[in-house]
Amino acid sequence: MHPILARGSRLGPYVAAWLALGGLIAVLAHLAAASPWHEALLLSVPLALVYAFICLASYYPCRVAPVSLASFPRLVVTHLLAALFSAVLWVFLAITWAVILETLPPFAGVAERLGRFVVVLAIIAVLLYTLAAAIHYVLIAFEEARQRERQRLELEMAAREAELRALRAQVDPHFLFNTLNAIASLTSSQPQAARQMCLELADFLRSSLRLGAREKIPLAEELALVERYLAIEGVRFGERLRLARKLDEAALDWAVPPLILQPLVENAVTHGIAELVEGGEVRIEVQRHGERLALTVSNPFDAQGEPRAGEGLGLANVRARLVACYGSEAILHVQRSADTFSVTLELPREALPATVH
Amino acid sequence: MRTIIVDDEAPARALLREYLAGREDIQVVGECANGFEAVKAIAELAPDLVFLDVQMPKLDGFEVLELAEREVAVVFITAHEEHAVRAFEVQAVDYLLKPFSQVRLEQAIERAKARRAAGSPMPLKELAALAKPRRGPAARILVREGSAVHVIPTPELDLVEARDDAVILRSGGKTYRKQRTLSEIEAELDPARFVRVHRSFIVNVSRLARIELYAKDSRIATLQDGTKVPVSRTGYARLRELL
Repeated sequence: MHPILARGSRLGPYVAAWLALGGLIAVLAHLAAASPWHEALLLSVPLALVYAFICLASYYPCRVAPVSLASFPRLVVTHLLAALFSAVLWVFLAITWAVILETLPPFAGVAERLGRFVVVLAIIAVLLYTLAAAIHYVLIAFEEARQRERQRLELEMAAREAELRALRAQVDPHFLFNTLNAIASLTSSQPQAARQMCLELADFLRSSLRLGAREKIPLAEELALVERYLAIEGVRFGERLRLARKLDEAALDWAVPPLILQPLVENAVTHGIAELVEGGEVRIEVQRHGERLALTVSNPFDAQGEPRAGEGLGLANVRARLVACYGSEAILHVQRSADTFSVTLELPREALPATVH
Repeated sequence: MRTIIVDDEAPARALLREYLAGREDIQVVGECANGFEAVKAIAELAPDLVFLDVQMPKLDGFEVLELAEREVAVVFITAHEEHAVRAFEVQAVDYLLKPFSQVRLEQAIERAKARRAAGSPMPLKELAALAKPRRGPAARILVREGSAVHVIPTPELDLVEARDDAVILRSGGKTYRKQRTLSEIEAELDPARFVRVHRSFIVNVSRLARIELYAKDSRIATLQDGTKVPVSRTGYARLRELL
């Protein structure tokens, strides 16, 4: 993008500056070649405007020869050639313009007077070209700095968003509020149980933070975290929340992204079990298919219920994390039958990173 | 005040019971673990004050309030802050966020007493309309008959008829009466599936068997179960636009 042509806010002042230069050249022509004023102005102002656009082209040599010590000779040669070419072109145009004007009676003798002035004109052309090239260098540097700043901000924003998403993938604050309410309820009637629940909650929070900081964890640790979560929810929901597990023991040391099952189980409780008067069973299944791992979380749900806000958000999050970890190697299926909702994750087998403690 | 506690979590009910136990002016007459029980209890026990959880199986707190159709002070209790605005739109006395202290609960009770002394500032019907969820077309319509609640999934609704100051909903051969205007029901239904074919009738388009010209500018629609419904000129135009 041309830093002057592409922006109206710069092009206007630029052209205005050249009009003023045209006036200045007219003064020179009046003094050096004794041109009458009307002739000097009609000769130099259109020429200045034409040269304004010729000098805009200095942007391209500026791009070809960026400012740096290593390529300084190349920069000088490039611009010297461009300046000479521009000056020759401009002087040629000036002479052509003078010859055309000569055909009109009021401008008789203009070509001859221009001849006395032509060397000065060539020097002016080279100087103005150099000035224009310098301005273009400044503008290019300015644009580049702005672009770098914008890129830096964009990167920063992307990083912050990723951080937020990662945080959100951890614990739903409403789970905390409800759990604290349950603890408050137990403190007077069953102080032992209240204490137990505090400990379990602390355990759950600590391990979710610890595991969340790692890139991959053994499946067994993820399952242990999920069971802690369900134990806490079990106090709130009592008999309504039941757990069934079907685990392939050989897959327990396979690597999975941390907190990848937890949001699925949380969904199963908040959108499934919590909406049913009699509650139901959250099923967790782990299967191996050759070198692939299939993790399934399923739950009954109220088929007559109104869909609630926030459903699907947790799933979208899990899906995004799978894509980030495995690209197209991982699959997330959602299955909804008349009264059962189930989500299956299929992951490729991966070795744990070497830094496992 | 006769009080009912509604929450699907036993520990949450226990906490409220404990907080309320010391107060002479509060008499807990019922405890409910879901929305159906709550509607029944409100109809049968005629409480003055209800502590109402928002997230519950079957019916949420707002739906319970819509069906209550009775002068009752409501204090919503939930872990979610985002329902607060709606709670005050439906003139809830207070909105407690879990976990809450005994002091905060006592404030809510004082507000309930003050409200009772002053009387309700808004007609019940308007409150019930405000309590309806406003997220897209309704997936179901709730009807209370005495202390029983019927849930009619909208795909199973055949016909709605205006009668006197209420509507008659017909679904699978059964009819239900609901204290609403036809326009209110129309606004809740999916306009791609339900058409107001007449000043007094809304039909489920998928139940239509045929439409016959009956007189100039008036037609009769026959539903799959043989029911005949008058179709006005504008109603016919609406149908044609949809089909």
